[in-house]
Amino acid sequence: MKLEIGNFHVKDVCFGTETSFSNGTLIIDKQAAIDYIKEDEHITTCDIQIAKPGESIRIVPVKEAIEPRCRVNADHPLFPGVTGEVHPVGEGRTHALKGCSVLAVGEHWGSFGDGLIDMSGEGAKYSLFSSLINICLVADTDEEFERHEQQKKNRALRWGAHRLAEYLGNAVKELQPDDIEEYELGAITKRSAEVNALPSVVYVLQGQSQMEEDGYNDLVYGWDMNNYLPTLMHPNEIIDGAVISGSFMPCSSKWSTYDFQNNPTIKELYKEHGKSINFLGVIMSNLNVSLEQKERSAVYVAQIAKSLGADGAVLAEEGYGNPDADFIACFVALEDAGVKTVGVTNECTGRDGQSQPLVALDEKANAIVSCGNVSQLIRLPAMERVIGELEALSRDGLSGGWSGDEILGSSVKEDGSIIMENNAMFCGDQVSGWSPKTMTEF
Amino acid sequence: MKKAVLYINQFFAGVGGETEADFEPEIREGLVGPALELDKQLQNAEVTHTVICGDNFIGSNQEEAVKRILEGLEGIEFDIFFAGPAFQAGRYGSACGFICRAVREKFGVETVSSMHVENPGVLMFKKELYIAEGGHIAAKMRKDIKKMANIGDKLLAGETMLRAEAEEFFPRGIRHQFWPEEAKPAAIRAVEMLKKKLAGEEYQTELPIPKSDRVEIAKPVVDLSKARIALMNTGGIVPVDNPDKIQSASATRWGKYDISGMDHLESGVFKTIHAGFDPAAADADPNVIMPIDVMRAFEKEGKIGELYKDFYSTVGTGTTEAEARRMAQEIVVHMKEAQVDAVLMVST
Repeated sequence: MKLEIGNFHVKDVCFGTETSFSNGTLIIDKQAAIDYIKEDEHITTCDIQIAKPGESIRIVPVKEAIEPRCRVNADHPLFPGVTGEVHPVGEGRTHALKGCSVLAVGEHWGSFGDGLIDMSGEGAKYSLFSSLINICLVADTDEEFERHEQQKKNRALRWGAHRLAEYLGNAVKELQPDDIEEYELGAITKRSAEVNALPSVVYVLQGQSQMEEDGYNDLVYGWDMNNYLPTLMHPNEIIDGAVISGSFMPCSSKWSTYDFQNNPTIKELYKEHGKSINFLGVIMSNLNVSLEQKERSAVYVAQIAKSLGADGAVLAEEGYGNPDADFIACFVALEDAGVKTVGVTNECTGRDGQSQPLVALDEKANAIVSCGNVSQLIRLPAMERVIGELEALSRDGLSGGWSGDEILGSSVKEDGSIIMENNAMFCGDQVSGWSPKTMTEF
Repeated sequence: MKKAVLYINQFFAGVGGETEADFEPEIREGLVGPALELDKQLQNAEVTHTVICGDNFIGSNQEEAVKRILEGLEGIEFDIFFAGPAFQAGRYGSACGFICRAVREKFGVETVSSMHVENPGVLMFKKELYIAEGGHIAAKMRKDIKKMANIGDKLLAGETMLRAEAEEFFPRGIRHQFWPEEAKPAAIRAVEMLKKKLAGEEYQTELPIPKSDRVEIAKPVVDLSKARIALMNTGGIVPVDNPDKIQSASATRWGKYDISGMDHLESGVFKTIHAGFDPAAADADPNVIMPIDVMRAFEKEGKIGELYKDFYSTVGTGTTEAEARRMAQEIVVHMKEAQVDAVLMVST
């Protein structure tokens, strides 16, 4: 399977009369884009705002991030089963607007899995998205059934952002990209003797799928991963739109759709393929509620890895707390199957740093890359401008915010400064592979 | 200039060796023994006093020694407290730990010691104070004191976020995120680690999993109807006045309480002092944690031979494994003497 991603490096984004891309500048016809978003009648109010790295801007509540892209040699949807019908992806040519992302931002209302991004200052280091030009879809919806719920599906807003990403991506459909990345990985049984002689490796992703009701979980080709068994996937499918992010899990542990589209671990494994490893592919697993489900998924992952003859695995979980049990169960199952495994996760050691780092531990989990402490307390000064609504952090049950605390007070102070847990940093722990952070003893 | 106090034993104070180990606590103004070097190395404070105590004296009169030292320190102004270096000397290490713990509790100042990795004091106290990674013999004195002074200087300067590895003190069980100077993305770290693991080379996990220290399950009691059974709990059931002053969390003390002639534990006579759960149910009926009532019934029915006359108690919440092990070792001596055949251990 061969995928070409044609990159268009976006240096600036501004509003103009026609949505187009030239000389590194993405121009957006704002009204036309808003009209397109509002074709979904569930979007009641809608605005597009731009936030650039270094600006004094705080964005909250952020629900989703997507890299604007389009398919070049087919009229298939960017996200099969989500923005259109189901079609295979991972092959052919996709064009991408690099250096920017489309964010789904609540005009007022936040939910448990939403996050915060500071575009400058001390807070910028906590999220990858402070380094991108963010095209913020700020909207409200008619989803009255969940307006005051802590858990929200955020469907209209998330789908709106997916559609906007595709709409903007289409601006470069006919253009020549600045550069082209090639991702080619042949059939497993048809590889050269040299490649077959290298240690073979799988990448196991445990996507978030712990909500029993439809509408909150990560989707694979539009399918809810709660009702799902681990499957072998081609890495190109992951980075080409087969998976979209969900609307559950404390935000720093979440993987946005942008994270799937640009998964750095897949890119790193590709880089080593044929040199030091034989990259077999991705085992897409999930995270579950009951112990039996957790064990069943672990059994499946280990079996697939073993059947493929994998010598090694990188295993990553999209979550913390309860999902640690899935992570450790899968780790142990892989090791027991003779697959040498490295885990990637974040930790929850508490505000004082003294709690057990993962809910479940096992001595077999002897190689872990750690990406952060979800419960670290963070204090940040006010920003000049807020995109969204700052009160959402304290009012709406975001995982890292609170309305009242005996000692700390509210997360949002009158002067616009905030105190929060790392939990609410937008996709902050970057377990999909960006994370420059690690954990250590103090 | 901020002020510091150093605790040392009789040997390093020049009082004498083992024959003088009963030397009673004394606080001297000025610098004695290692205090000279510490004062020289320490940039952000001057050492004003030296506390001296014999290892034997504090070993066998720990509470008394701590009490006298705390009283002596009351009139003295200080911003930080040092103890040692204790090298590999077990009794000295424990003494440093007990004094530092008490000083920190009473005066709220940071405390710094130095011990060799094999000093039992490390396991017992590393979570409560900064213990610099020290040498095993006194020849390392200068180096060890330098490390203590460095840690002390940072604490005095208000640089509280010290990294254990960089500052060379024993990890205190406090894990936080940090950004290494040469930031390498997790993806690269993971693939590098995997390549090493696949090649059988050494690598360093970023999340060391503590070795589980499992105790083998004992063989079953052959004949319960002849066995002497003792009751023990970590749920903090004590007489209402808590005579042994067992702490409500992070316990270091345990007690044994006579239940001769009682067919159950009376509410109002016994209660829980455990801070880790809602005490209402246990205070209303202490037998829900220490089931004296049921055990007496078994005794009458002949299911068990005898309920031993004392039950044992401590508090489990926040208590370190090292302290728990020490307390268990102390309790086992009593039980063996009393020819207890089996113990029913109740947690909460």
